[in-house]
Amino acid sequence: MTAVIRTEELTKRYRGLRALDRVNLEVLEGAIYALVGPNGAGKTTSIKILMNLIGATSGHATVLGVDSTLIRGKSYTEIGYVSENQEIPGWMKVGALLQYLRDFYPTWDRELEDSLLKQFDLPRDRKIRALSRGMKMKLALAGALAFHPKLIVLDEPFGGLDPLVRDQLIEGLLERAAESTVFISSHDLTEIESFASHVGYLEQGTLRFSEEMTALAARFREVEITCEGESRVPSPVPASWLQLKSSAGVVRFVENQFAEDKTTAEIRRHFGEVKNVEYRPMGLRAIFLAMARKGDEA
Amino acid sequence: MIPFHVEFRPGATIYEQVVYAAKKAMMAGQLRPGDAFPSVRTLSRELKINPNTAHKVITHLVQSGLLEIRPGAGTLVANRPQASPAEKTQLLEEQVEQLVVESKRLGIDFEDLQDAVGQHWKRLKLRGTERT
Repeated sequence: MTAVIRTEELTKRYRGLRALDRVNLEVLEGAIYALVGPNGAGKTTSIKILMNLIGATSGHATVLGVDSTLIRGKSYTEIGYVSENQEIPGWMKVGALLQYLRDFYPTWDRELEDSLLKQFDLPRDRKIRALSRGMKMKLALAGALAFHPKLIVLDEPFGGLDPLVRDQLIEGLLERAAESTVFISSHDLTEIESFASHVGYLEQGTLRFSEEMTALAARFREVEITCEGESRVPSPVPASWLQLKSSAGVVRFVENQFAEDKTTAEIRRHFGEVKNVEYRPMGLRAIFLAMARKGDEA
Repeated sequence: MIPFHVEFRPGATIYEQVVYAAKKAMMAGQLRPGDAFPSVRTLSRELKINPNTAHKVITHLVQSGLLEIRPGAGTLVANRPQASPAEKTQLLEEQVEQLVVESKRLGIDFEDLQDAVGQHWKRLKLRGTERT
């Protein structure tokens, strides 16, 4: 399987601030890769470097086999890129914008353009300044999908959009996902959880993990232990146990390297005999919060 | 429209949950032999899942003999003998396990649990059918 995106020790420094710190990630062909993380983690910076809009301080990135610093016209005709803020001239009409874009892309598909406009409810005759935020986003996505791109890059596409528009964007995206690779940065974890195949978690410039969604879901568990008598906080706390808290006879923590036998044995080692142990699987939102709150711990 | 309901919860993978929902639908008669099964595109679009996952679901159901591909007709629910009571019970395994675990946690004994189940069994009828 070829990597459609690959970064090697990708680093970006602004004066003293390390916006990206030695990021190594790989997006395989056909994947739907979600880059998530708190605000300011470096997600947009990563995307801008990949799209050759800004340069890295050190390290490399390769997109569709081309070094990111060498991305020019031809590569752009294979990439559908939708950034967070759409700066499209307000005076243009929907139809005119698409006509303008058409000429840049040899693979532009008029029929697909028509069907996307219909699917997204976008009137050709409307001026862009008269479009709502959601409609602008749909238009941007239509413009990025109509030429059958090999790679679709979306930076926070769902921000501030109502559920119907989100649904429409996701439907439009998924329909084309079968023939493309998708790289999407987003805070909308419940939405992307249902279709992302891979997840990367970026925090203050560092990629804390990057793996298949199924593997991630398999190793994270909320653990709840009901002790015999008062609960004891083990010392030291195993490194894979996050957010450990206790109250009355109950201890709770997030295990991020869950394996039933191993985890149960470790619990027995630290707590001895207990009344009950419960393992609860975690959705992406809960995993994100557990990771993000890690920094809060004293 | 997809003629069965899928509610995604953390736990099993999306693939497992859709397969499970489809199997339940076949046993409950929502999907009958000869009915058209939703395409990869439809599954992906309506459930908002990765088309690869949708493809995996259908492949699995075809390989399990629950769906068959008829040239010209598409993917249809296969004509299969009725599921055995054991097979049907197996689909509810998770709920049964949960009930047993919770009962034990609360210190409910087996006889009391059986009584509770029996009471609900007598009281409830599926809307629109006669069944005990």
